[in-house]
Amino acid sequence: MKTADITTIFIALAVTLLQIAIGAFPVAMFAFPLNTLAMLLWVVAMLHIYRYRTTSAIAKFMLSREATWLSLLIMAATGVVLGLQRNPMSDAWAVVIGLLFVQSHLMFVVLRGWRVNNRIRWRFAILHIGLLLALGAGFWGAPDREQLRIAVESHPSREAYTIEGVERRLPYDIALKEFKTEMSENNTPTNYTARIVVEGESVVLRVNHPYNRTWSEKIYLINGGVAHNGSDYAIVEVVREPWQWLSAVGIVMLIVGDVLLFLCGPKGRR
Amino acid sequence: MNGGWNIFPIVAAVVVMLSAVAAAIALIRKERSVVAMTLSALSIVAMGGFIALLWMTLERPPLRTMGETRLWYSFFLLIAGLFTYARWRYRWIMLFSTLLATVFMVINILRPEIHDQTLMPALQSVWFVPHVAVYMFSYALLGCATLLAIASLLRPNIGADEGIERLLYGGLAFLSIGMLTGALWAKDAWGAYWSWDAKEAWAAATWSLYLVAIHMARSVMNVKSQRAYYIVIIVAFIALQMCWYGVNYLPSAADSIHAYNQ
Repeated sequence: MKTADITTIFIALAVTLLQIAIGAFPVAMFAFPLNTLAMLLWVVAMLHIYRYRTTSAIAKFMLSREATWLSLLIMAATGVVLGLQRNPMSDAWAVVIGLLFVQSHLMFVVLRGWRVNNRIRWRFAILHIGLLLALGAGFWGAPDREQLRIAVESHPSREAYTIEGVERRLPYDIALKEFKTEMSENNTPTNYTARIVVEGESVVLRVNHPYNRTWSEKIYLINGGVAHNGSDYAIVEVVREPWQWLSAVGIVMLIVGDVLLFLCGPKGRR
Repeated sequence: MNGGWNIFPIVAAVVVMLSAVAAAIALIRKERSVVAMTLSALSIVAMGGFIALLWMTLERPPLRTMGETRLWYSFFLLIAGLFTYARWRYRWIMLFSTLLATVFMVINILRPEIHDQTLMPALQSVWFVPHVAVYMFSYALLGCATLLAIASLLRPNIGADEGIERLLYGGLAFLSIGMLTGALWAKDAWGAYWSWDAKEAWAAATWSLYLVAIHMARSVMNVKSQRAYYIVIIVAFIALQMCWYGVNYLPSAADSIHAYNQ
């Protein structure tokens, strides 16, 4: 049995034991600045190992075709397993370690392949760096992401709740001015509109049209209607995601790379 | 039944007849047949005309229900079949693409989930048309790649590898763009680019399997790995079916945020 196989089995066992012993990966514990520090340490470690790519067994494995197959199979298996779960355990240890491995391999591949014979391989670089950014922003930024729901009525309120039902106070008030439902001829809703007041400013919310409160925070309209007492209400969601712009850059790079993939097709001999 | 859909069985019959004759001519003639390509192009125009008519009568893009996405899939499958024949002269590809398109058109006639004209608020987005149309186009290209892979698995010396690889590149490019526009839309609609919802999880699995295939295509292969390559393409296409409609039959779809397309 190869060293790589033994290491893979060992990691799989360790991950299973961790899951059994302490449950899901403690994502919230790694909120800023711990996640940023951990990411920087990881980048430095990868760069350091990469320097010894001709001598180190780890570096050689991370640059091997086997590591590519393993990365892609981890991603496919993650998709299948989470796709079968009603409440997908995306914070399971296996998912976290698996995605960390995928990113590590991607980083090695980018370092080696972005330039060949002093020539930049644009399509390769755009696709792989884009994927690394999109994956990395979602992975390292997850602990800083906050999603709070708040039921808004005519009186100003700031009591919001996390998805788990834990109460959080917003640093500002939100009040509802008006909630409107447009109906079609066959009595199905075609549009929801909520006019709310955020920090004294009047804002119109619609589905697919969130309000950008700050560079890292958006407010979404989730639902609404008429309460038992006859007054309008709206359910809005406040989403804080400081890493969202990094994800967006990665996604746009991937789209550009995919357009190039279609236009240029396969290159070189098989 | 809605005005536009009333004439669908007639349109489908015309499309199938034109495509079938085109496929038969392509199969018989050793050289690339202009008549076959013209008939196939006419069937595509007929199908495209019906989609345009439906768009006008529904007063929204016909991309919402499973029935409507099947319509686009049949349309793009006919285009992909004609393109593959015109470019690489596989004489039998139009026969298979016609058969597959016919299956989806017949399902649409037997199960018309098409009565509702309204577009729910969640689907009223600039991302709606590009996301679904690009996905359907990629499904068609990857469907043709799968047909070529099955044929190559059965008869290894047909020389379809270049065609498979090109279809994979085009299909994967559009599949990725479909997935990424979906992520941008999800951020606008739900506040997260990715949430591992059942549909998203299967999309990730499908995408990863096609990445395996495309990386294999770039490798030096022996007979054994060549067979594995064709099998990966077929498995990836099965995952794609799961992502498209199979997921709707899983318990995990009960809480899916993509439930409106069932």
